[in-house]
Order: sequence, then C-alpha cells, then structure tokens
Amino acid sequence: MKHQPLEGQRLFIRLNRSEKNQHLIFVVCFIILAVTGFMVKLPEEIIALLGEHQQKLFYYRSIVHRVAGTIMALASVYHVGYLFLSSAGRRWFIDMMPRPKDLKEMFHNLMYYLGTRETPPEFDRFSYKQKLEYGALIAGTVLMTGSGIILWTESSWDKFILDIAAIVHAMEAVLACMAIMIWHLYEVHLRPHKFPIDNMWLTGVIPEEEMKEEFPLHYKKIMENPELQRIYIVGEPPDRHETGPRIPLVDLPGIN
Amino acid sequence: MRYPSLKIVAVFTVLLCMFLLAETLQASSDALPDSENCLYCHRYPQMGRYDEKGKKRIFYINDRVFARSIHGKLSCKSCHVSGLDQIPHTDIQKVDCTTKCHIKEPSTNQEFSHANIVQKVEASVHGRKNGTKPYPEDLPECKSCHDNPLYSSLEGLWCDSEALSNETLARCTVCHVRKEWADNFYAHFMHRMQKQRTQKEIVQLCTGCHEDQEKMNRHGLESIETYKDTFHWKQVKYRVENAPDCITCHVPVGYSTHEMYPRTDPRSPLHMNNRVNTCAHQGGIQTCHPGATPEFAMGRVHAYGANAEMAASVQTTTVASRDDEKLKLLVQVRAKNELSKKEVFHYQVLHYITLFYKILIGSVIGFMILHQFLDYRRTRKRMNQRHHSMNLEKDDRV
Repeated sequence: MKHQPLEGQRLFIRLNRSEKNQHLIFVVCFIILAVTGFMVKLPEEIIALLGEHQQKLFYYRSIVHRVAGTIMALASVYHVGYLFLSSAGRRWFIDMMPRPKDLKEMFHNLMYYLGTRETPPEFDRFSYKQKLEYGALIAGTVLMTGSGIILWTESSWDKFILDIAAIVHAMEAVLACMAIMIWHLYEVHLRPHKFPIDNMWLTGVIPEEEMKEEFPLHYKKIMENPELQRIYIVGEPPDRHETGPRIPLVDLPGIN
Repeated sequence: MRYPSLKIVAVFTVLLCMFLLAETLQASSDALPDSENCLYCHRYPQMGRYDEKGKKRIFYINDRVFARSIHGKLSCKSCHVSGLDQIPHTDIQKVDCTTKCHIKEPSTNQEFSHANIVQKVEASVHGRKNGTKPYPEDLPECKSCHDNPLYSSLEGLWCDSEALSNETLARCTVCHVRKEWADNFYAHFMHRMQKQRTQKEIVQLCTGCHEDQEKMNRHGLESIETYKDTFHWKQVKYRVENAPDCITCHVPVGYSTHEMYPRTDPRSPLHMNNRVNTCAHQGGIQTCHPGATPEFAMGRVHAYGANAEMAASVQTTTVASRDDEKLKLLVQVRAKNELSKKEVFHYQVLHYITLFYKILIGSVIGFMILHQFLDYRRTRKRMNQRHHSMNLEKDDRV
C-alpha cells in the first residue's frame, strides 16, 4: 500500500518496503501461532463443540503451527541479516540501541502522564516504548524458537530439558500475547488519535505533523541533515518545489 | 353416538392378544436362557428397593438387552450362586468373579472362571494382598473397571459395511450350522477386536480413583491430575486416534492390565530398564517415540505434583496429633524417600522458572496496563485542550 502525498505535503518514512514486509510476515505468523498454539489449552467443553472434526483439526493445527513457526524463525534470521548487511538495517540497529537517555525519557514521559511535567520528552526515531517492544520481540522470538525446536525434536532430549522448554514455551506465549494486546495494539489501534487503526504498518509513512509531534528529535535531525532528508522524506515540500531534488516514493529501490 | 358392537370388540381383543403374544414369543427367542424363571419377577421395570443405606437398587433385567451382552448366554445362577432359593431373596451373596460358570473354556476344555485373572490382580498394585494392604475399601474390584458391556454391532470391523459381516458370517455357517452360535462367536470375536472405551473414557476411569487426592494420600501415592498438563492429554482431549491414554504407557503391548506393578518392579513397563521400549511403543497399533533415548525415557511424563512439592519443601512436619496430620506426615516421609535428590532438584528448577514467569508476567503486564491507562488519560486530555483552543480561535475570528 502506497501513500501518495498530497500537493505540498511531506511524508516521513517509518518503515521501508522490506521492513513493512517483515512486519507483515510477523503479524500473520504471530496470529497463526497464537491461535494454533492456544488451541491445545482449550477446555474440553469447547473442543466438544467441534464435533467430529476434532482429530482432523488437531492434526492440521500441529502442521500449521510448525510451518508458521518455521517461517517466523526464518524471517527472524533474515532480519538479523538485514540489520547488518543493508544500510537501512544498520541505521535501524543503531537507532534501536538502548541508551541511558531512554530511561530518562521514560521517567519524563511518566511524569508528563501524571501531569507533573508540561511537555512530553522529545523522542528520537524510536522511543523507549518501541525499544522495549523490540527487545521483548527479540527475546521472545529466540526463546520461543529455541523451546519450539526442543519440543519438536522431543525424543532426543532429556525430559528435564523438555519440561523447561514446555514451561518457557507456554509462559512466553502468554506473556507475548498479552504484551502485544496491551502494549502494541493499544499503540496502533486504541490510542485516541490512532483509533481505529494506524495505517503506518501498510503505508510505511506518517505525515509531517505527526512526525513533529511524536518524534520531534528525529524530525529536527532530519531537517538539519540533507542526507537524512533524502532517506526519510517522501513528497515535495513547498519551498523546494522548484529547486530541490525529486524525492522518490516509499517503494522505490533507492531507499529500500 | 353409535357404540361398536360386542363382536367387533371381541375380535379386536383377540387380534391384540395374538399380536402381543407374537411379540413375546419373538422376544423370548433371543432372550437369555432363563431356566430358573427369574424373569417371572425381574422383568418388571419398576422392580427395586431402597437398601439399608438408602441407596436405590434396581432389580429389573431387560432380557433382550442382557442377551446381547458378553454374559448373555449365562443363566442367572451361573454368577448369582447362592441365596436365591428363598423368595423374596434375603441372603443374596455378592457375585464372586472367581466362580466357575459351567461353561467349558474351548482351549482347555475346563470349566471357565475368572479365578486366574483375580489371582493376578491380587498380586498386582491393585490387589488387596489378602487384606494386608491398608484401606482395602479404596482398592478396585472387578466391577470398578468392568461392567457387562454389550456386544458391538455386527457391522464390519474393517469398514462399515454390513454386507461384509453378512458375507463373513455366511462362510462361518457353511460348517457351523447353528446360526445363533455363529452370530454369538462372531460377536465375541468382534468385541475383542475393537477398543471398548475411548481414550477419554479410559482416562476418566483411572482418574476416578487416581485423581482423588485424599484417597491417594492414604496410600502414599501422588494424585495424577498432572497428567492433564501433558501433551498426551491434549491429544486425548481432541480425540486423536491412538492418542496416549493411561493404558498406552502403563499397559503397553505385551503387558496386562491385571498385572500392573510399581515402577520399581522389573515387571513394570515403567521400570527404568523398560522405559525406552515403552516410550517407543514398538509393536503397538501406533509407534510413538521410536527414537526415544534413555535420557528422554527416564524423565517424568506427568509433571511433578504434590509429592515433589512436599519433598522439596523446607518445612517438615515432625509432630502429628490429628489423623489428617499423621497422613500428611506419612505422605511427606514417603515423598522424601521415593524421590531422588535429582528429581527434587528438577522439581525446584521447574517450580522457580514457573514462579519467575508468573512474577514477570504480572509485573510486566501490570506496568503496561498502568502505562497505557495513563497514556490514554493524558492523550484524551490533550485532545480536549486542542479542541477547546481551536473553538476559542474560531470564536475570536467570528
């Protein structure tokens, strides 16, 4: 999905094409894994409603869960490659690195929520919310993939290791699903100005006004650096209409 | 209004009687052998009474249903051997399955009885050991697991074609001319070729006793509700064909349900020497873990339960005054003796991982809910302020 800028409107890239695709794969896999995974926890009364399809459903559930898990693990490996082998990935990695500033910003933001500070902190490209979520995603994916592989190849392992893997797999699943529902879905669906959905995950871009408000530090950095402008801005600003370079749309290979 | 003539009523009554008689004759043709004429009284559905304990006892026998059961060819006195001569019966003895039931067992031509099975059960974990085991009333009797099941329908075992059964039976009756005998033999054979209970029913049967924490405590055993945490149960829950129920592991191919022994006994499939084979389930209807290693097979299939918790606990009850405390002490001592240090360590590790996750989930999700609530409140406030200031600007312009 492309977001065509209006005349004179500037859009800022949050996710490039590869990142959007990676996110999409993760969304689809995550939903499939959650549904097929928690199916084993359904109470007997609910399963009884499935009638004669129970066995077939369990069989396909097992296959689909493993396929989705494998795709997600491969997408994660791809992401690691992307982080180090592409320039956009390296920028992502550097911008996503946790810093002491994030902790300060978190306290500042909480103070702002509580009304003891007038203004929110000036977030850079990724705020502490996104960094926390990204860190949790990495930890969760590693633990779920590891424990999943152990459970998949159960006969080769010590039963004690299998017991640990089973607990970690189940508990991580609960944690991940609840965190996604409360942290992520709130951010992109339920925040008053985002409701019912923030299209950014499909378009990859946000308008200038939103950029100024949500990530002011990043906005300032972009506006001060022509190189960053070339990377992050889509559309033609009014003052550059005549002289400025033609800024490519999101999906052009140059910025991917 | 015209009333029917007496002649018509008489003809109708005769026809009705003939019809009912025909029904009765038809019914008696496949009913149980009743030379003692027990059905004279026991055919009445309302027949029964409340016993001294207030329990409702039903003495009605549906002869047609009973005739289709696995004991359908036996007369009542084959099992109810004494106390029947006086009517009403006052001195009825409980049925003893070791009684010889006057049927010749074809492989030995001896009078048949279940005595050999009862002896085996007596020697197994479920046996009373001649009353030496404590709380004998907790231990199962034959009827705790066995009822008198009906023969399965004569439809084909290999497919649902009735024609296949008919063809097979037609071949039998070439030599075995008594059709009734052939039907019965075929039903007997068919009955044993099929599982009579689903996996879920088997789990329900075993957990009927083994999930009873109090009963298990009396025998120093662990309640097995932890089975329902296993992936085995998840499959049973979804009615997966050949999913592992209690019998699959505790009585695999080559073992008998009537001869179950403690896992420390080399005759038990759960003895450490037999575990790999049990997990592999080679030779069973379905092979389960053909690549099972000893390390895999040595572990606990059911998660560690109350006994491990007790063995791992720091506090030890040393003085017990009340009965329940004495029992608890007994269980605790047994738990500590039975579980190795390694098992207790494993339990503790799993326990602390679970605890860690519970705290992590609680704190992380709690923080998230609080954070998002504050964010929601603040964002709403900011939006309202903006609306307000925009309205003021409009008013100024006007």
